[in-house]
Amino acid sequence: MQGITKRFPGVLANDSVDFEAGAGEVHALLGENGAGKSTLSNILTGLYQPDEGAIWLYGKPVQFGSPSDAIDAGVGMVHQHFRLVPPFTVAENVILGEHRPEARKFVLEPRQIERRVVGLGERYGIAVDPRARIWQLSVGEQQRVEILKSLYREARILILDEPTAVLTPQEAEALFGTLRTMAEEGRTVIFISHKLHEVKAVADRVTVLRGGRSIGTLPTADATPRELAALMVGREVELARRVAREAPAGTDSALEVEGLTVSGDRGEQAVRDVSLAVRTGEIVGVAGVAGNGQRELAEAITGMRPPVRGQIRVGGRKLRDGDPRAAIAARIAHVPEDRLGTAVAPSLDIAANAVLKSYRGPLMSRGPLLRWRAIRTHAVDLIKRYRVHAPGPHTPARDLSGGNLQKLVLGREFSAQPQVLIAASPTRGLDVGAIETVHAYLREAASIGVGVLLISEDLDEIRALADRIVVIYEGRLTGDFDPGTATVAEIGLAMAGGERA
Amino acid sequence: MSVNHGLTVSVLAQALAYGTPILFAALGELLAERSGVLNLGVEGMMLVGAVMAFWASQRAPGSTALALVLAVLTAAFAGVVMASIHAFLVVSLRASQIVSGLALTIFAGGLGLSSYLGQSLGLSDAPPVHQFSELDVFGLKDVPVLGPVLFHQTAVVYVAWAATVAVALYLARTRFGLNVRAVGEAPGAADAMGISVTKYRYAHVLAGGAFAGVGGACFSLAIAPGWNAGDSLVGGAGWIAIALVIFSFWRAELCLVGAYLFGGLSGGLPSALQARGYGIKPEFLNALPYVMTVVVLVLVSAGLAKRRLGAPAALGLPYVREER
Amino acid sequence: MIKVERRLEQPRWYSFAVPIASAAFSFLVMAAVLVATGHDPLHTYRRLFDAAFIGPAAWTDTLVSATPLLFTGLAAAVAFRMQLFNIGAEGQLYLGAITGSGVAFWLGPHHATGLTILAMCVGAAAGGALWALIPGVLKAFARTNEIITSLMLNYVAGLLLTYLIFDSASPWRDLSTIQTRSFPQSIALQPSQFWPNWSVSDVVLPFGFLLALAVGTGLYVLFRSTRFGFEMNVIGDSQRAARYSGMRTRRKILAVMAISGAVAGVGGASQVGDFSHVLDASPQGLQGASYGYTGIVVAALGRYNPFAVCLVGVLIGGLQNAGLFLQGPDFPSGLVGVMQGIVLFCVLGGELLIRYRLRVGRRRRVAPVEAPPAVEAAP
Repeated sequence: MQGITKRFPGVLANDSVDFEAGAGEVHALLGENGAGKSTLSNILTGLYQPDEGAIWLYGKPVQFGSPSDAIDAGVGMVHQHFRLVPPFTVAENVILGEHRPEARKFVLEPRQIERRVVGLGERYGIAVDPRARIWQLSVGEQQRVEILKSLYREARILILDEPTAVLTPQEAEALFGTLRTMAEEGRTVIFISHKLHEVKAVADRVTVLRGGRSIGTLPTADATPRELAALMVGREVELARRVAREAPAGTDSALEVEGLTVSGDRGEQAVRDVSLAVRTGEIVGVAGVAGNGQRELAEAITGMRPPVRGQIRVGGRKLRDGDPRAAIAARIAHVPEDRLGTAVAPSLDIAANAVLKSYRGPLMSRGPLLRWRAIRTHAVDLIKRYRVHAPGPHTPARDLSGGNLQKLVLGREFSAQPQVLIAASPTRGLDVGAIETVHAYLREAASIGVGVLLISEDLDEIRALADRIVVIYEGRLTGDFDPGTATVAEIGLAMAGGERA
Repeated sequence: MSVNHGLTVSVLAQALAYGTPILFAALGELLAERSGVLNLGVEGMMLVGAVMAFWASQRAPGSTALALVLAVLTAAFAGVVMASIHAFLVVSLRASQIVSGLALTIFAGGLGLSSYLGQSLGLSDAPPVHQFSELDVFGLKDVPVLGPVLFHQTAVVYVAWAATVAVALYLARTRFGLNVRAVGEAPGAADAMGISVTKYRYAHVLAGGAFAGVGGACFSLAIAPGWNAGDSLVGGAGWIAIALVIFSFWRAELCLVGAYLFGGLSGGLPSALQARGYGIKPEFLNALPYVMTVVVLVLVSAGLAKRRLGAPAALGLPYVREER
Repeated sequence: MIKVERRLEQPRWYSFAVPIASAAFSFLVMAAVLVATGHDPLHTYRRLFDAAFIGPAAWTDTLVSATPLLFTGLAAAVAFRMQLFNIGAEGQLYLGAITGSGVAFWLGPHHATGLTILAMCVGAAAGGALWALIPGVLKAFARTNEIITSLMLNYVAGLLLTYLIFDSASPWRDLSTIQTRSFPQSIALQPSQFWPNWSVSDVVLPFGFLLALAVGTGLYVLFRSTRFGFEMNVIGDSQRAARYSGMRTRRKILAVMAISGAVAGVGGASQVGDFSHVLDASPQGLQGASYGYTGIVVAALGRYNPFAVCLVGVLIGGLQNAGLFLQGPDFPSGLVGVMQGIVLFCVLGGELLIRYRLRVGRRRRVAPVEAPPAVEAAP
């Protein structure tokens, strides 16, 4: 790829990026969130068209007008957010959109497809039941389906966007094996990540992206993590390390959950008999692979989802089930994982979103009437205090960047002086600067005595912040660790349901 | 005994006749919804189909059979034209599917285009030249019970059966069916695999329009041949068809069952009961299909809320690739 | 190739200019239709405009046509604002007419006009609200699709209206003379029960029209300044965000449906009290006018803003009045519906321009892609 430039309204996502990968290698694309990795890969797979620049495949220039052009040229992609159809079977997902002449039959022949899927799965060590429906599969299995989709189409170039974000450390190891097998066959594997140790572990060469530009390509064997980190962020950085907090956790209990069982969207038991406690000033990390009941756990504690069984107590007082207003009254702050879909009303402005929970109070309303002036002042204050970059209080929430939106949400939640903070994947999709800010706020919350429950799929994040780590697997807690002593392997095993502590 | 017997047979026979337009319209709506597009303009598309079919049957040359075929094709084409407005607004321009569909019904409906066409083409209360008449299939029409119900119907009834089977097989067994289901469930996934969300949505909304147009033609050529300048002809059948798609959990074969149930309620049962003079006021009988639609919808949606099955996940949502 | 991009900033004037430009565009489309059907568009527009808005007589008739549309438009706007698609204003209006007139017949002519009007409005509001609460309750407690239920109930309400006058000895029906027994009609209001009107420089302002403006103002305050309106905005934008922030969505659905139905119901009472003075169940009466459906057009064109809805209501009322006036061989009655549809389509399409920017770019030629050499024969 040469001189690729891609503009989005207000953003220059790729600025004449050069990138080149050889056949038979695993090539890492390293960069922090927002560096333009996903945009670049979406261009290579035909989802976006570049504004400038050209793509060369095996010495020939190509132009991809649509994803099917890229697929036909042998480019396959495993997106970070899987592009799978949940109610379909594995086999149906694999053949979806298949239009090569030999497959161009009007009537489908499921048997034949299933046989091929099984064959490919066995060969690359990524077997899945071809008749299983996607929604029944674990996230790791779903990723296998994504890889099978590309292999089925005989992709010569496979791009994986942050593939390990949804895996346990052990599953990630297995994936690396699969990727190496594919490279040995002469395929090109492009591995997108912002995690240095993974890049070191799997890639032959690495290209670093920063701020939409390519900074350079170097063999991974020669590079130290420190060098790579400096290239990635553009300055010398402290690698993620545990920062010991001065004020240790208190002894009073902030949040107690006892025997909690919660149903998921499909009626299955998403959370099973979970008990945990968070003390004041303590950060408890809930580690686990996505889709193991984290969302349902957070929603049950914050009243958004009525539990089937169990109790939730805040400061010793039992909480009314399934009533978000009761949770708000008990001063449980909630930073949900789906920022734009849950934490804000996206078309309403910052001012309205800043009082989404407090508009009922006497400060923001008088009788049935709202005090718009007070609301506006509050919003302006919040924007200033939490450094939300926005034109003003009347900007619609959906026009904020991820990091600024998260600052707005955190600011709003903190301004209610919470006793308990439930933060679900609070840094997902944010760039390094914003991640540091969010982490600082979480630490600050704990230091003033808030009990923080940090739910995250990013084990590094949890290890860096939490005073205590519990692991959730298939809705059950499968481990309780001290981050000072526990190893990644131990926690990873628990994340895979391996061992109960 | 024989009175009740005859009553049952005539109710069943009428159920099939009256259920047929609902079935066509429901199959069309099913196709559109499976691609993720809700089209609330069914009633309007049916009315335009009805008036255009009647017009074509008046003007078409040649034999009755040829005239009727041309008339039905005209109705289908009229439905496609109507549906294309909706498709352009919601697929290309991403307008609200609900408001656009309502706009289509108002535009095409009883006080809009269909009435305008009826007047300006001089169709109001014109006597029909051609109409569908009951066939005697395999000479079996005199077989007790089954004969009049199954073998003594108009051609559109049998075409509707074929259409049901075709739609069901298309969705379940073919490559295109798989693709359109993917577009309705997860357009992002379909797009990434090289399936054009836009093309599939256009194609199925237009096909839905064609089906609705044919459904309208059933009214003006088979059930009540003619055009009497008002929406009383179709009388909510388009809306019942939309409800039917929900009852049938987005499955063609269940649409057939539901359509005949509502055909019985809207055509067969009221006229049969009235003919027997049971002394039930016609208003109550005529309200039956509407009330039953509400009742069944409540039962189904109370169940759906628990299990969330059937509805295409992306139904009603515009697809925008470059949103970030 | 036309590409669609999200606008980063939406200038405020866009939300006024774009709908107006879209409406202007729709007149061009309509002109094409008129030319195609053998009309002179300028002449037709001229006649429409004259019949709707030139002279006190035209304005008087326009306000008569507009009054019910203001009510049904506001009724639809209240609900649609919260993404609650109540398309049952039609039936709720019938119910309001039934209960409102029923109250008047029951009270009889010997009360103060003001009291009669108040009682009629309360009765009509209750009738419309209860009818609207059927889909409301089903939506709130069984998650039933309100579009279909509210619409089905329109047909039921129409049949109820027919039944009361044509097919029963209901208290609404006038059974006092032989003539009314063979040609069914309802009891008529006595002149002391008529709703008043005022003449302002020869334009007759019906009480119902002023009442509708007052309702519109009240709704504006509700949306703009109250906690209730704030909650409606949040629920309309994101149900999840509403639940997240502890709003009682269910209660809001019920309340909004009730308000919507009540407004439509008062519209029904206004039809009886202001204009017809009887409960007209004939096909040319309430059921022939389809005020409820046109109200949806009015609400959508007014973008659910109460003041804009009132303004659009007057414009569409003018169009309907002119259509009625011009109705004849060269101006079929369906034409007005067609015009409304075209305006609505254009404005709907135009909304895209508020949120997105169109960019016309060169179409990229897609180079033919050669089939890749197989890496290795897959099993």
